[in-house]
Amino acid sequence: MISLYLPGASWCHRLPARLKLILLAVVSMAVFPVQDFWILSALLALTLLAYSSLGKGGLQQVKALRPMGAMLAIIFLLHAVTGDWREGVVTIERLTALILLANLVTITTRMDDMMEAVMPLFAPLSWLGLSPRKPALAVTLVLRFAPVLLSVYSSLREAYQSRSGKRTSWRLMGPFMLQALAMADNVAEALTARGGAEGFGARDTSVLPVRN
Amino acid sequence: MAFFRKRQENAQASSFNPDADPYAVLENVGLEMTGHQVLQDISLKLSERRIGIVGLNGSGKSSLIRLLNGLRLPTSGDVRVFGADTKTVQRDLPRYVGFVFQNPDHQAIFPTVEEEIAFGLTQLGASKTEAVSGARVFLERHGCAHLGPKPFADLSEGQKQLICILAVLVMKPKLLVLDEPMSSLDGLATRRIQNLIAALDQRIIMISHDLSLLTSYDRVLWMEGGRLRMDGSPQDVLPAYEADISARADIPVDGDAF
Repeated sequence: MISLYLPGASWCHRLPARLKLILLAVVSMAVFPVQDFWILSALLALTLLAYSSLGKGGLQQVKALRPMGAMLAIIFLLHAVTGDWREGVVTIERLTALILLANLVTITTRMDDMMEAVMPLFAPLSWLGLSPRKPALAVTLVLRFAPVLLSVYSSLREAYQSRSGKRTSWRLMGPFMLQALAMADNVAEALTARGGAEGFGARDTSVLPVRN
Repeated sequence: MAFFRKRQENAQASSFNPDADPYAVLENVGLEMTGHQVLQDISLKLSERRIGIVGLNGSGKSSLIRLLNGLRLPTSGDVRVFGADTKTVQRDLPRYVGFVFQNPDHQAIFPTVEEEIAFGLTQLGASKTEAVSGARVFLERHGCAHLGPKPFADLSEGQKQLICILAVLVMKPKLLVLDEPMSSLDGLATRRIQNLIAALDQRIIMISHDLSLLTSYDRVLWMEGGRLRMDGSPQDVLPAYEADISARADIPVDGDAF
């Protein structure tokens, strides 16, 4: 989930985020009743074709499946043991295609476009007096800080290993949490320093840079 | 209950005077945080275009500059920036006073460079399309167009700090406050950022441990133990500060080091 956005300008990058999300939902629902091996194979092939059309490194993005490998294997085994292994194959095909399609949307949509597309879903929050910008910002922050937290953890691990010889320990969780909390404080301060989560009340377009 | 508070229209925004001279006035300012007296008895009138701040770690430098854009409010005394009391204009102060943090990773809020720059524009009410195209123009103008789509995490340290400074500059602050912006940079990046800052029209207040960066400044403040120890031209303050450090640098054979 970390290497999300794949910079590029392919056809899939250019499609509007909302259209991509709707297409994904439609395809997902349409594919669910399908049991035909060949139809699903065709869908999978088309999906892979879409990945390769993203340009350099496009097909590599299929690596998003890797963490799902174990789960897919278990699902297949369950089918094989309890029923028909062919049904297992079909189920795996369907899941793989859907995961890949969802991932395709993720890697070709910039986060702010994605948030813009789902923002209407947060609109009911304004009835409670909450700004719909806040959940959007929260999601953005998770994406921004996931890699940073990983690097914090890896430096903690290095510090531990350099003095203990052991690779890792549950004991690192405490300091890791503290560092994450300290980081949250820093981000809050950074946000405040630029006007807070809701921005300034008045619109001031005099600052907008324009091409001269 | 802060969650349910509606954003108030900034009625006080008009009380700012961007041409105020001096632009910042501190009167008998004290700051207490979690039982510690972080700053005390600070009275200052700031009107110079380039002001440097030096002092050891923990001397109160960072707290002092945080008073200027409302990240901290004084617990005693008054701070007025551009003619307005920071207590009453705290939320609008960041429009006029930009703040650059020591560690770029603590400042960047967004996954990509373009979003980071565009944020400042949306904060000032620009629509998303205006903000994105504005951000592109701005990046291009600063020779950074190629960085726009990149994830912030993939930038070099120097690029990160550059983007952090641009993300603040895009909001056109009248005063730019920088908290040791070069401390994580290599020599080349330091020089580039230094040149960028030097060319700015904005008034600058910068903390630095690298004293050579402050020699051309108009005024230098030396903080120690939460108080102002010396205030004057870099020609007077910097050598005195350096001499003090040298005199204290030898770790005593017995007695307390540090």
